Amino acid sequence: MEAARVSLRRARPLLGTFVEIAVTGPAIPAMEDAVEAAFAAVATVHGLMSFHETDSDVSRLNRDAASRPVRVHDWTCEVLEVACDLNRRSAGVFDVAVAPALQRLGLLPSVPALASLSSAPFQQFSGAIELLPDNEVRFAHTEVKIDLGGIAKGFAVDRAVDALRCHGVAEGLVNAGGDLRAFGPRRHDIDVRDPRQPEQPICRVALRNGALASSAGRFDLVRSDQVLSCAVVDPATAMPVRAIRGATVRAPSCIVADALTKVVMNAGEAAAPILEHFGADALFLSAGGEFHMTANWKNEVRLAA
Amino acid sequence: MTSWVRLTLPTAVIASIASPSHAVQYLTIDAAKKLAFPSANRFIENGGPTWKAQAGDKLLGLFVVDHVIGKHLYIDYAVALDPGGRVLRVDILQYRESYGGEVREPSWLAQFVGKTSSSPLKVGSDIRNISGATLSSLHITEGVKRILASYGSRAR
Repeated sequence: MEAARVSLRRARPLLGTFVEIAVTGPAIPAMEDAVEAAFAAVATVHGLMSFHETDSDVSRLNRDAASRPVRVHDWTCEVLEVACDLNRRSAGVFDVAVAPALQRLGLLPSVPALASLSSAPFQQFSGAIELLPDNEVRFAHTEVKIDLGGIAKGFAVDRAVDALRCHGVAEGLVNAGGDLRAFGPRRHDIDVRDPRQPEQPICRVALRNGALASSAGRFDLVRSDQVLSCAVVDPATAMPVRAIRGATVRAPSCIVADALTKVVMNAGEAAAPILEHFGADALFLSAGGEFHMTANWKNEVRLAA
Repeated sequence: MTSWVRLTLPTAVIASIASPSHAVQYLTIDAAKKLAFPSANRFIENGGPTWKAQAGDKLLGLFVVDHVIGKHLYIDYAVALDPGGRVLRVDILQYRESYGGEVREPSWLAQFVGKTSSSPLKVGSDIRNISGATLSSLHITEGVKRILASYGSRAR
């Protein structure tokens, strides 16, 4: 007789949103330990890559990396490597050095040490991040300030999935505020929120052994059901993206899915080559209400009535 | 080469999706207490929704249950503090999101009453996985700060 299978589902406030971990397996105590380790991995990523916490790797880089090389954690290094690769492959459309623009728009707080930036003209910083041996990082100019908000959540989900697998969990789903990854044999149906009305689904997507991430505005259902201004900026203009209301990407890993949503938000259908390179699919809603999706995905996406 | 399909909403209706309400019970209060303080053998009521976790006579910390409620959202959460008043962990106990404001009604809350930690959890039935615009958890962060201000010194 097959052993009884049980499921656990836990949620914690991390990364500025709700991180939910659901696992299925044979034994509760071992699964609680696995879930604990997965949340710990997410909390580590949060501590390393938060723009707001003054002792995070990101804050140390923004303070000091223009004047001297700064040594960072392996995971921060890994995220920066992916970010630099995506920056090159997207011809600058994906850029983690948009922090000054986000600060100017009020989407990131102004750090006192960075206050002088608020009047500086915006420029693109492609290639301005140098990755040196031994996990050291240097910035080319004092104007370079990074925000990993467009990629760290996806990375945190990947680390949580690794932690669950290391603890022998064979099936589960990690969802960090809509950036999620499923592993194991089961198919998961994911409802994608309508970027215009977040409480309503716009479509349902089937996912098995892969990651799905979305970008649109932020919202707070305690205060209102309205979506706030979009936190994705166009590196070329330093202004929020307006032509596309929301984008969802499916990719093998969550870091790639998360980052590619920003490329799709900015580039729309022109993102096709980079999506293909990463084996990813995408859908997006234009400001005019037109729904676009990659043809491969047609049979696995159901639109809401 | 990747190609694109374009549809104009809302005429291109393919299938319907169930009601937009979304509710999950993650943990009962009892289960959350035990997870936060696995070595505790008693939880002593401490006024309001707070408990002192003890192993024999040794104080392990304080367990506090709180909630946030808005027009479209209800969240019950638990904060475990160590004897020094530091946050050990924050767990979401219940989550309910709904369009139309009915989260203020007590009737839906009743569905959770009497569930124990051994009640089976239905995954993939009434519980949905959601992607899209990012829901802020700032209200929980603010709630934890309030709890620290009220109880941080009382944990000792």
